[in-house]
Amino acid sequence: MPAIFVLDVPEFRALAEIARTRPDCRVSVAGMGYLLIESDHDIVFDRRELGFTPAVWYGAFTGGVEGRIAEFGRDTVRIVAVNAADPR
Amino acid sequence: MPDVPTELGGVHHTARPTWKLKETVEFYHDILGLPIVHAISAIGWGPVDHPDFIHVFFGSGRDSTIAFFYYLGTPEPEQELPPESWLNKSVHTAWRVDTREQLLAWKERLEARGLPVLQVRHEIIESIYVTDPNGYMIEFTWQVRAMTQYDGLDAELTLAAAIGIEQEQGKRVTEIETVWQRKAQLVRKKLAEAA
Repeated sequence: MPAIFVLDVPEFRALAEIARTRPDCRVSVAGMGYLLIESDHDIVFDRRELGFTPAVWYGAFTGGVEGRIAEFGRDTVRIVAVNAADPR
Repeated sequence: MPDVPTELGGVHHTARPTWKLKETVEFYHDILGLPIVHAISAIGWGPVDHPDFIHVFFGSGRDSTIAFFYYLGTPEPEQELPPESWLNKSVHTAWRVDTREQLLAWKERLEARGLPVLQVRHEIIESIYVTDPNGYMIEFTWQVRAMTQYDGLDAELTLAAAIGIEQEQGKRVTEIETVWQRKAQLVRKKLAEAA
């Protein structure tokens, strides 16, 4: 299952806030300032829903990714399990 | 002097060459309003081929300065990169302003002088950018929040991830995704050690 570490700071916090509204996502406090977002399915975010400027968006996963980035566009990111099939 | 700590007190000056003395003075002094605080004018020194030069310092707040060398009679080296190249933007100076209102006031002032201004909200800073007559990028930045110990730890792990990959594969890392993946492993390891 894919997971991401997110530093619990104002500029990235929307990732956790949005993930908490998703029934298939789990958000927990990992320690050392990190939140952990996990999901049994693909983790998908919309930049506009997050309210991220492009400069923040393109660095939003700097906390660490367990999985593979199947899609990273201007407004959509999709993180899948490492062994997930690539639909392309 | 074993008891004297080796600590830094901020920037005194950065220096770059210019081949446009008048335009540089007009930009930094006349347009930006920076005071001319010091200038060295010297006959060639050191190596025999060293040209005469003027070394000028503009005050940039809190006793910091930005400096330029103007080498007399020397041709400007041919630029390998087009001026608009992203690589030219990596070497730049960023000045701090204390409030967002000050940042926006600078933007208004620069635009009123006809300068194109780029405004970008980054992670912990918001910045505006202009280009000086030499093609050097100048940034004015407002830091939105203080950096914490966790910012520093996170940064160290990012670097450890990238360097670790490069050492293992014996060549430079090419995709940030691999850094992010390694970073998650390092975060897991650190958390386990701390548990």
